[in-house]
Amino acid sequence: MKARSSLEREFLEKWRKGLQIGKEDSTILERKDAIKLSADVAIAATKNAATHWRRALLCDVVSENPTNKHVVEHILGHKFKNTATRLTACSRRILRISQKRRQKAAPRRVVPKSRKRNRSRALRMLVPGGEEMDGVLLLQETLDYIVSLRAQVDVMRCLASIG
Amino acid sequence: MEPNVKAVQPQFRSGISGPKPGGMGFVFDDIHGLIPGPPETDGTSFTALLELPPPQAVELLVMEDFPAKSMPPPIFPSNIALSDRASMFSIFASADNPPDSTNIISASSSMKIDSVKQEPLESEHHRNSSSPAVSNQSLKSIKRKEREKKVKESSKKSKKLEANEASDGSGEQLPYVHVRARRGQATDSHSLAERARREKINARMKLLQDLVPGCNKISGTAMVLDEIINHVQALQRQVEFLSMRLAAVNPRIDFNLDALLAAESESSIDNSYLGMFPPSIWLEGQLNGSRQQQSWLIDGVHPSRVDDTSNFITPDNSLLSYDSPPNSVSLHSSQLKMEL
Repeated sequence: MKARSSLEREFLEKWRKGLQIGKEDSTILERKDAIKLSADVAIAATKNAATHWRRALLCDVVSENPTNKHVVEHILGHKFKNTATRLTACSRRILRISQKRRQKAAPRRVVPKSRKRNRSRALRMLVPGGEEMDGVLLLQETLDYIVSLRAQVDVMRCLASIG
Repeated sequence: MEPNVKAVQPQFRSGISGPKPGGMGFVFDDIHGLIPGPPETDGTSFTALLELPPPQAVELLVMEDFPAKSMPPPIFPSNIALSDRASMFSIFASADNPPDSTNIISASSSMKIDSVKQEPLESEHHRNSSSPAVSNQSLKSIKRKEREKKVKESSKKSKKLEANEASDGSGEQLPYVHVRARRGQATDSHSLAERARREKINARMKLLQDLVPGCNKISGTAMVLDEIINHVQALQRQVEFLSMRLAAVNPRIDFNLDALLAAESESSIDNSYLGMFPPSIWLEGQLNGSRQQQSWLIDGVHPSRVDDTSNFITPDNSLLSYDSPPNSVSLHSSQLKMEL
């Protein structure tokens, strides 16, 4: 008998909350997007959204489509105040990243020679908010991200196998 | 937790690893005084020392400058590794301590811990391992691990050579960075900081290696990074795929809600439970025709209830009226989902 960990339970709870707002979606793609959106916001909302990647994920979600903000607010609940600060943090983050990219593009070689840098860059692109993390923080956030992703996949798989 | 750990370690270090020979005299006196009687000191590794038969402990003490680290009694490493792993893995599944211990035991062989000193630190940390913040937890455990590593490495060197010759790097007084310069290595602050950073990275890489399946055998950080990237990509793809599957199965999102309710109320024993009865379920489903959706789950388990129409009319009552084991309750809740 597999006991659900507290992370999984928290994710399930928040995901359910997010799905409650889901409007009537006709196409399968829209439904899938709504499900995935709720799932992502839910997993980002666990542990009080304390880690870098969680905040970055929420920022991405909101900036991609402003209507997602309702889902975020609903799931986060009384943490609404944080979302306002999060939005400003998001915009600042986007600015910072674009500035970094502009600065780095000129002096950098087209093909970086070290393979490790390639890999760390790939990892940065995968983990939400990875661009602004240094090596140590990146690994730490990756660790937490993998754990949360696993929890998310386990719960979704259970749900899919029931239905 | 952090202050406790800090408090334990400095007083501990002053007791055993004091760089001055005077400190060592203090150690000997203390040990000699304590060995005949019961352990009176606080929870430092003196108690660990005392668990050894006294003459052996004295012998070890006399032999080396840093005796606590030179003796690897077989009972300790597994305990230390266990609690260390438990504290680290507690961030992953706080409710699942028993399953983790099996992971821990299997992983303990990969841990190169041979210092008894770490035991009190470990037990301290293990007791407080249920703190909610993940990053703080991992950070603390990683910092503590680094401290142990540094202590261990310095102790390794001291075993071979005269320990007190090693020049003291900066940071013995700092709260969490214990950097000890090894013999024959540069001691300026830059390289020390670099080394500390490198060791932090290595510690985290190790944790990642243990987390991602199939990384234990791979040596070299580059390949491990590749595996990690693959793993993350695979997980992300799985999320996409599963959400598509869920969208395909349920024509409306409300289905998902009820399914989630069902999933919440039940434990996952039901998945295996359902899996055990597929033949009977499908058979019954075919027989019932139009009532297929509603009753196929019940039929597999309670054949006597096939004709009970009250199940469809009052699903809530059916849930309440059943005081059988939770399995059937969960099956009814999934029946609820089907009805909609």
